[in-house]
Amino acid sequence: MNVLVVLAMILFILMVWIGGKKGARSFVSLFLNGLVVLTTVWIMNDPHTNPILLTVIACVAISMINLFFINQVNSKTITAFIATMVTILILILFIYIVTKKSMIQGFGEEEIDEISIFSIYLGIDFVKVGAAVIIMSTIGAITDIAISITSPMREVFKHQPNIRRKDLFKSGLTIGRDILGSNTNTLFFAFIGGYMGLLLWFKDLSYSFGEIANSKVFTAEMMTICCSGIGIALSIPVAAAINAYYLVRRREKKDDN
Amino acid sequence: MNAIQNKYKQWTHQQWFFLALFIVCWIASIIFVNHNFSLYDRPIAKVINTSVKETTTVTDQYGNEDTQFIQEINAEIKNGAHKGKLVHLTNEYSMSGAYDQPYEKGNDVFITIEKSSDKNSQLIGDITDVKRDKYIVAVGWIFMIVLLLIGKKQGFYASVSLAVNLIILSYALDLNVNTGVNLLWIAAIIVILFTILSLILVNGLNEKTYAAIVATILGTFSSLLITYIVMELTKDQGLNYEEMQFLTRPYRLVFIAGLFIGSLGAVMDVAITMSASIFELYEQDQQISMKTLKDSAFNIGKDIMGTMTNILFFAYISGSIPMLILYMKNYSPLGFTLSMNLSLELARALAGGIGIVLTIPIGLYISLFFVKRKKAKS
Repeated sequence: MNVLVVLAMILFILMVWIGGKKGARSFVSLFLNGLVVLTTVWIMNDPHTNPILLTVIACVAISMINLFFINQVNSKTITAFIATMVTILILILFIYIVTKKSMIQGFGEEEIDEISIFSIYLGIDFVKVGAAVIIMSTIGAITDIAISITSPMREVFKHQPNIRRKDLFKSGLTIGRDILGSNTNTLFFAFIGGYMGLLLWFKDLSYSFGEIANSKVFTAEMMTICCSGIGIALSIPVAAAINAYYLVRRREKKDDN
Repeated sequence: MNAIQNKYKQWTHQQWFFLALFIVCWIASIIFVNHNFSLYDRPIAKVINTSVKETTTVTDQYGNEDTQFIQEINAEIKNGAHKGKLVHLTNEYSMSGAYDQPYEKGNDVFITIEKSSDKNSQLIGDITDVKRDKYIVAVGWIFMIVLLLIGKKQGFYASVSLAVNLIILSYALDLNVNTGVNLLWIAAIIVILFTILSLILVNGLNEKTYAAIVATILGTFSSLLITYIVMELTKDQGLNYEEMQFLTRPYRLVFIAGLFIGSLGAVMDVAITMSASIFELYEQDQQISMKTLKDSAFNIGKDIMGTMTNILFFAYISGSIPMLILYMKNYSPLGFTLSMNLSLELARALAGGIGIVLTIPIGLYISLFFVKRKKAKS
């Protein structure tokens, strides 16, 4: 038996046992997201496409799966969706500049042995691919923040229907601040766990601090952690503002009628 | 305007002091990374001007077209014996830039200087790597500032806990390399340390945090145990360790240690969400029945399960995208491409997912236990 198949089966059973129908949908969403990523990569193989534009389109699909498929299409998930897309659009330019300036695109020296049998002159802009990688690693966390802010903001609004827009925005920020730490932690440990081998490799070869700090792989890892943290933090005011604007406008419209 | 002025009047001396300290650190570190050349043993040069000498179009055996350039660079050496002298560098780069890049004025690069017999001739050298520390510092500061501006106190604690965790990790890895203590033991100990530190830093010392710490540790260890048993029973079938080939030590152990730490953040997140919401519900209505408490907590768990597993999924899978493109463009069969590049990442994501889902009931029952104890006390 294949490890991945057994693990997937265990995960499926656990998800259905604890989450019922919603658990099953969550499991299917992983598959759908995997398909989206693979399709995106497959289209990126055409040098005439723009990897960043493709990633934005992939992000639309991924947030739709995470928000509309796992939950339902309702005003809560729609505002979360808009907040996710706005955050991604703000982030993209920043991430592209960071990738370009710090030259962390493509492959690091530890991978060079593995890829020596391949042709690496592929005509695909690896700077853009590098930016796409960072955006993709963050998208899951950004949709999570967006939905985690919009749902409780609804509750606040329900309990205080006459709340001012500014106060509603502030309560959204407070909710966001509480989850900021745990979300950055989630990504941080995931990246560190994935790069354990590399960190050990540096230590085994007794790289100096200066060599580690300037190497491509380490820089790329730090940039991913920082950019995703910035993305998570940015999505908090964005989601709070969009939701506050939407809820108060809906109330005003009702009052007009 | 008045509102802004009032806001600043409310600031205490202490707050002004911290702001000043912050700005001083910021400016000092930026100046430092731009002038720390003398701390490096390897020669560093600053690019003064560049010109493209040659442009060739290349086509590989699969018909992939790319353009290669040869760039002539004049640079000034910033450290070592030749400090202040000019050096002539040649850089070959391609349009796609998978393992190379163009340089421009102002870039700092590490070089090797070729020994020339003639003393008067211009120095010639090769670029070995880019000096990237200044970018890490710059983006690190932007990260800190954004986190502080938006997250205020919580943002501060979040960045402190990240920094502390990085230091612990680095120290623990040193310990493993220098003393040869088993990597799994080290991973287990730092998992417990990370959990206690991060949760207390972000949530303070209270029963909510204690419940989350116990739940996180149980959740991580049980998910690892399940994954380990599966790996043993299936004899690692389907896992390709080739992408860890560069390591000079047993891959499998490193992979398992990575699994341990990788899912920790997500498991912590689930554990604190469960305990925080259960304690919140209890505080709001102290007469609430255990049954209602349990049902609402299960609903919360169902809500976070999907997004949490997706966070891990993307964090792990995305890093493989450049490698997937490389394999595909070299016409490797799809099955081979996927199993070579995604098997470890998928295993990490699945093991993390199992940890997340298991922590929902674990966190729930432990928090209920703590609530019951509190109830009995009062």
